[in-house]
Amino acid sequence: MQITDPTDSRRTSPSASPSTGPADGRSAARAATRPVWDAFIRLFHWLLVAAVTIGAVTGLVLGPTWLKLHLLAGTTAAALVLARIIWGYLGGRFARFEGFVEGPLKTLRHIAELRDNRAPRHVGHNPAGGWMILFLIAAILLLAVTGTIALGGIFKTGPLGYAISYDLGDRVNGLHNWLAWGLLGLIAFHVAGAIFESLRTRENLPLAMITGRKRVGRGDILPPARSAHPRRAALIMLGTAAAAALIGITLAGRAVPRLPVARLDPTYASECGDCHVPYNPSLMSSDRWRLLMNSLENHFGEDASLDDATRRQLTEWITAHAAETVDTKPAHVLAQADPANPISLTATPFWKKAHAAIPDSVFARKPIFARSNCTACHGDAETGMFYPANIKIPEETTK
Amino acid sequence: MNRTMHRIMPALVLGALALGQPLSADPARDAIINQLKAEAGVSSFSAERGKQFFHARHSGGKPQTPSCATCHTSDPRNSGQTRVGKVIEPMAVSRNPSRFTDPKKVAKWFRRNCRSVLGRECSAREKGDFLTYLSNL
Repeated sequence: MQITDPTDSRRTSPSASPSTGPADGRSAARAATRPVWDAFIRLFHWLLVAAVTIGAVTGLVLGPTWLKLHLLAGTTAAALVLARIIWGYLGGRFARFEGFVEGPLKTLRHIAELRDNRAPRHVGHNPAGGWMILFLIAAILLLAVTGTIALGGIFKTGPLGYAISYDLGDRVNGLHNWLAWGLLGLIAFHVAGAIFESLRTRENLPLAMITGRKRVGRGDILPPARSAHPRRAALIMLGTAAAAALIGITLAGRAVPRLPVARLDPTYASECGDCHVPYNPSLMSSDRWRLLMNSLENHFGEDASLDDATRRQLTEWITAHAAETVDTKPAHVLAQADPANPISLTATPFWKKAHAAIPDSVFARKPIFARSNCTACHGDAETGMFYPANIKIPEETTK
Repeated sequence: MNRTMHRIMPALVLGALALGQPLSADPARDAIINQLKAEAGVSSFSAERGKQFFHARHSGGKPQTPSCATCHTSDPRNSGQTRVGKVIEPMAVSRNPSRFTDPKKVAKWFRRNCRSVLGRECSAREKGDFLTYLSNL
């Protein structure tokens, strides 16, 4: 609900006060402005710009190795939006939802007035801009929710790691991706709207989001006067943050079902680990492991035969912890084998696709040496988790 | 050189010689070598033949591993490296005193690596020469 301000003649520029030094020519222009966007709104807006930019670049361009920064950006964006919602009930007249959220009829009328070039000037958000704020808030919250579900299902971490299956996480991740493009679309409209309104009202609106001040004009439409309650709002924001952190940490601490075997069998670790990374048994299904254990005499170009008792003992341990016993991403994505070489992980279609951008020279260099040397870059390869944030391609060593 | 130096010189030389003696003082390793002597029907092995065997390029094995030196490097006193980059501790007993003291391990690696490099089992004499070379390096 907004009201026209027929008599607003308050001159509320700080430069009008005598303590700010000699008056210059600009002080007259400044005197005709009023504070609109308070410090919280401005800080919120630009921090959100930064968080969303980082989230979009890390998520859509840089890819999974930037997951840590992506999660930080997403968490920040969600926290900012939650704080903004609280401020939407306890902030001043321009911050409150009641001041800029209009019904669909009023909004359509405003759009029609814009079309006919007779729309009044809203000092705060105009009805279309108000809806945009709600859409942006909803999109960012949905992104946070779908991101948390995807993180839990795919990487078995975060507050929902214990609750979400890989399949569900994978599907929700698709939704997360679509929402991300949707948010970028909304932002494009938001920026276009700000440019349009800047031209229409001859006022630099992005600048107003920095200075917080806007020109005072005749016939301006103002939201109803409300006083801000910054202390109460800060208290509720802190309480919400503490509660969210507590719930998040508690949920994240819950035991995750169907994880790879945590401790490698010592015989496995020494018999297989003497020559190569002791691959976590969860990376292959038990039928592929049996094929491998039955062809050790010709093992990727070497004789790796074992005495029969050891071979049987290891086969039993490996198949008891094979891919079908876990719900990790590697177990799912590596399940599709190369029919010509079913016991090779590096021959699987997923492996090839995921490493396609890495040149042969990187694999050949010290201390990597071979494609099969997972641990050289995946710090947690032996756990079978392959969390993207644990990827670090080492520089070439000369020793 | 002063007189003191002259007097202790023979002792230094003797000490150095003692250190240069075969280091295969481990009874477990001696037992493995003696067992091979019995199998081969010989009373001694040749470190020189073992050295040639170690460095030779063999045929008949897998193409990726033509020689012992492929993975263990041309100086067995250094660490080697598997084809996928895992470090192999030095083969020379002087650098790695626990080498060739576990008969099961010795049998396993001779079985695997002789097949990989030569495409066949090694003879008792080849094994004995090999161990003698690496024990006296």
